[in-house]
Amino acid sequence: MSPAQDGARRRAVNAAWWLAPSLLCLALYWRGFTAWFRGDDLAWLGTGLYIQNLHDFVVALFGPQAQGTIRPLSERAFFMAGFELFGLEALPFKIVVFATQFANLALVASIGARLTGRRAAGFLASVLWVLHASSVLPLGWTCVYNEVLCGFFLLLALHFLIRYTETGERRYYVFQWIAFLAGFGALELNVVYPVIAAAYTLLFTRRYFRTTLPMFAASAAYAVAHAMIAPMQKTGDYAMHFTGAIFGTLATYWTWSVGPPFLYTPLDLPKWVLPVGVAIISAGLLAWAAKKLRPGIVFCIVWYLAVLAPVLPLRDHRTEYYVFLPVIGLCWLGGWALVEARRAVAVALAAIYVFMMLPGLVATAKWNYAVTMRVRALVEGVAGVHERQPSKSILLEGVDTELFYNAILDRPFRLFGVDAVYLSPGSEKHIESHPDLGNIGDFILPGDVVAQGLKKEELVVYDVRGPRLRNVTAMYAAIPQDHALPLRVDAASPLTSYLLGPEWYAPDGDHRWMPGKATLRMGAPSNADQKLYLRGNCPEQQLAAGALPITVTVNGVSTETAIRPGENAFELAIALPPSAVGKKEMTVTVTVGRVLHPASDPRDLGLAFGTFEVR
Amino acid sequence: MRYSWLTLLLVALVVAPVGCKKKKVRVGATDEDTPGLKSVLDMGNPKIEPQLLTGFHGIEAGAWRWTAKQFTVALKPPFGSGQKGAKLTVKLTVPPPTIEHLKNVTLLATAGGNALPPETYTTAGDYLYVREIPASLLTGDSLRVDFALDKAIPPSAADIRELGIIVLNIGLESK
Repeated sequence: MSPAQDGARRRAVNAAWWLAPSLLCLALYWRGFTAWFRGDDLAWLGTGLYIQNLHDFVVALFGPQAQGTIRPLSERAFFMAGFELFGLEALPFKIVVFATQFANLALVASIGARLTGRRAAGFLASVLWVLHASSVLPLGWTCVYNEVLCGFFLLLALHFLIRYTETGERRYYVFQWIAFLAGFGALELNVVYPVIAAAYTLLFTRRYFRTTLPMFAASAAYAVAHAMIAPMQKTGDYAMHFTGAIFGTLATYWTWSVGPPFLYTPLDLPKWVLPVGVAIISAGLLAWAAKKLRPGIVFCIVWYLAVLAPVLPLRDHRTEYYVFLPVIGLCWLGGWALVEARRAVAVALAAIYVFMMLPGLVATAKWNYAVTMRVRALVEGVAGVHERQPSKSILLEGVDTELFYNAILDRPFRLFGVDAVYLSPGSEKHIESHPDLGNIGDFILPGDVVAQGLKKEELVVYDVRGPRLRNVTAMYAAIPQDHALPLRVDAASPLTSYLLGPEWYAPDGDHRWMPGKATLRMGAPSNADQKLYLRGNCPEQQLAAGALPITVTVNGVSTETAIRPGENAFELAIALPPSAVGKKEMTVTVTVGRVLHPASDPRDLGLAFGTFEVR
Repeated sequence: MRYSWLTLLLVALVVAPVGCKKKKVRVGATDEDTPGLKSVLDMGNPKIEPQLLTGFHGIEAGAWRWTAKQFTVALKPPFGSGQKGAKLTVKLTVPPPTIEHLKNVTLLATAGGNALPPETYTTAGDYLYVREIPASLLTGDSLRVDFALDKAIPPSAADIRELGIIVLNIGLESK
C-alpha cells in the first residue's frame, strides 16, 4: 500500500470512527426523528403563550413547573424559541435533539478512547449506547430533550477536564466550568458532575483533584437554591424515599441497564430468557471488571452510580429513560471488555445484548411514532375544522385513553387560539381515569349542552377514530342526548349561556362578569356528600375594603361566605341543601356584598366566573 | 472560506423557516361527507361507531364485536316505518365460552323505553333475534335500543373486558 493509499485509508477509518455511531443512531431512531409532538410537549410549547412583560418572561423561563422542575435551557427556552420560530413543525426540534445526541456520541467515543487507551473501545462504547433501548424516548419524545442536553453538558465538561489535565491549559478549566454551569439549565441531574470530576482526578491525575472542589460548592448552592424555590415533594410519585427501597430501585435499574427497560421485548419468548440474558451480561461484565480492576474501570462504575443516584430515592416513579445517561458508564466498560475479551466470548455477549435490546427498541420507537401521528392528525384536523368554521365549538367523539393523555390533556388547541374543543358525553367510559394527571370531566360537554348547541348550530361533531377527523354532526344530531342539566357550568362558554339568568354580562374571553346578583340553573347533586364549587376571579380593588361577603342561595336555602384579601383566584365550596339531592335541576343565586365601579367600565361588577360545579 | 459557508448555511437554516412561517400549525384535511344516521349497523364498519352508544368492544376480524352485559345503539327508522312499523334484527353469536361459563344467557331489549320479549340461549351457535317495533316508536329521527344480558363473563386476568355475546349486525328493517 502506497503512503497516499495508507493516508486515504486512515482518513476513511477516522471518519467512520466519528460518524458511524451517529449514522447508526439515525438508522435505528428514524421514527423518533420523524415523530411529531405528544403529551408534555404540547404543554411546554405553550410556555410563552401568556408572556406580556419581563416579569412574565422571567417566570416562564425560571419559575418551577411540573413537579417543581426548573430547566430553562432544555425545556423553557428550547420550546419557547422553537414554537416562536417554527410553530408546530416538529422537524426543527428533532434536528436539535439529534444534533445534540450526535455530539454526545462523539464525546462518548472520544472520552471512552481516553479512559481505556483504546480507540476501538471508545467506538464500541458509543455503538453500545446507541443500541440501548433507553434512548427511544429521549430521541423520540421531544420533552425528554432535557436528558440529551444534560448528557451533552456532563460529557462536555468531562471532556474539558480531561483536556485540562492533559495540557495544563487553563482555558480548558474555564470551559469545563462553563459547560458545568450550563448543565444546570438542562437538568437537575447536573449536580452530580463534581463527583464525576473528582473521581476522574483522584483516579487519574490526583494533583488536579483540588481544582474540582469549588464545583461541589456550586452544586450545593444550586441544590439549596432549588430546594428553596421548589421544595421537594413529600407525597405522590415524585416523593423521595431514603429507605432500603433504594436498593430495590438500584436492582431494577441495573436490569434495565444491561437488559432492555422494563425487560420488555415484543418477541414471544419464555419468561426466563431475558432475566437469563441480563444475568449473563452482568456476570461477564462484572467478572471482567473485577479481574482487570484498573482506575478506568472504577471510573466507569462511579459514572454509572453517580448519575443514577439522584433518581434512586424515587421509589414510586421508575422510568425507562432514567438509565439513559447512567448507562454511558457501563457502555464504556462494555466497549472496553469487548475489545479485551476473547473474540468468541465478545461476539457472544454482544449478540445477546443486541438480541435483548433491538426488538424492544424498534417496537417502542414504532409505538411512539404511531401515537404522535394520531396526535398530529387530531390537532391539525381541529385546526382545519376551526379554519373552516371559526365561530363553532368542536365536539370530539371517540377519544380513547391514549389520545386523551397524549393529545387532549395538555390543551394543544390553545397554541393556535382555539379553546372551545370538548369531548362528547360518555367519553369518560372509554378513557382510563388517572386523577393525578387530570380530570377527564373538565373536558366533557354534558348531553343537554350538546343538544342545545346542535339545535342552535353552534357545535360541530367530529369522529376522531379514523386516520383523519370525520364530520359526524348530522349523525350525532339525530342521536338522542341525555337531557339532564349539567353538573358543571362554564359561565364564559356560549354553549352554556342558556343556563344563565338574564343578569349576566356578555363573556370576556375565559370569564364572565356578574353584577351584584346573578342566577343560573344546573344539575342537582345525586348524594348529600356532594358540594357546589364556585371558581372565578375577584379583582384586587374589590378586596381593598376587606373581605367580600357572598351569599349563595340554592333552591331557596342560603349560605353565607366571603372572599378574603389575597384570594383573588377563588374557589368556594358550598354545602348543598338536602332538599336539592336527587332533583332534576337546581337554581343557584349568587349575591355579592358590594360591587365595583372601575373608571373605565360603566357596569356594576360583582365577580368574574369561572365555573360552577357539583362534585 | 470554509467558515463563511458554514455561517451562511446556519443563517439560511434559521432564517428560511422564519421567512416561510405563516401559521403556527398546519391545517389538516378532514372528511366532510357528513353521513347521516344508519338503519343497519354492520359491526365491522368503523364509521358507525357514533351510533354504538355504550357497551361494545373493538372490531374483531373486521366483522364483529364482543358486547358487555349491557349495550345500546341508536338506529335510524327506515323509510315508511313511521306508518308500517319495522323489524329489529340482531345477528348474533353465542360463543362456546359464554355457555361454558354461564350455562345460558338471556337477551332483553328495550326500544324507545318499551320492553321487547326476551330470548334465552342455552347452546352456543349463531342466532337471529327478531322483534316487531310498532310504528308509534318510529316517528322520530332515531330510535334508541338498549340491550341487556342477564349475565356476562366478568373481567379476568386473561381478558380485562366484561364479555357478553358476539354481535355481527343490528338493524331496523321496513315491513
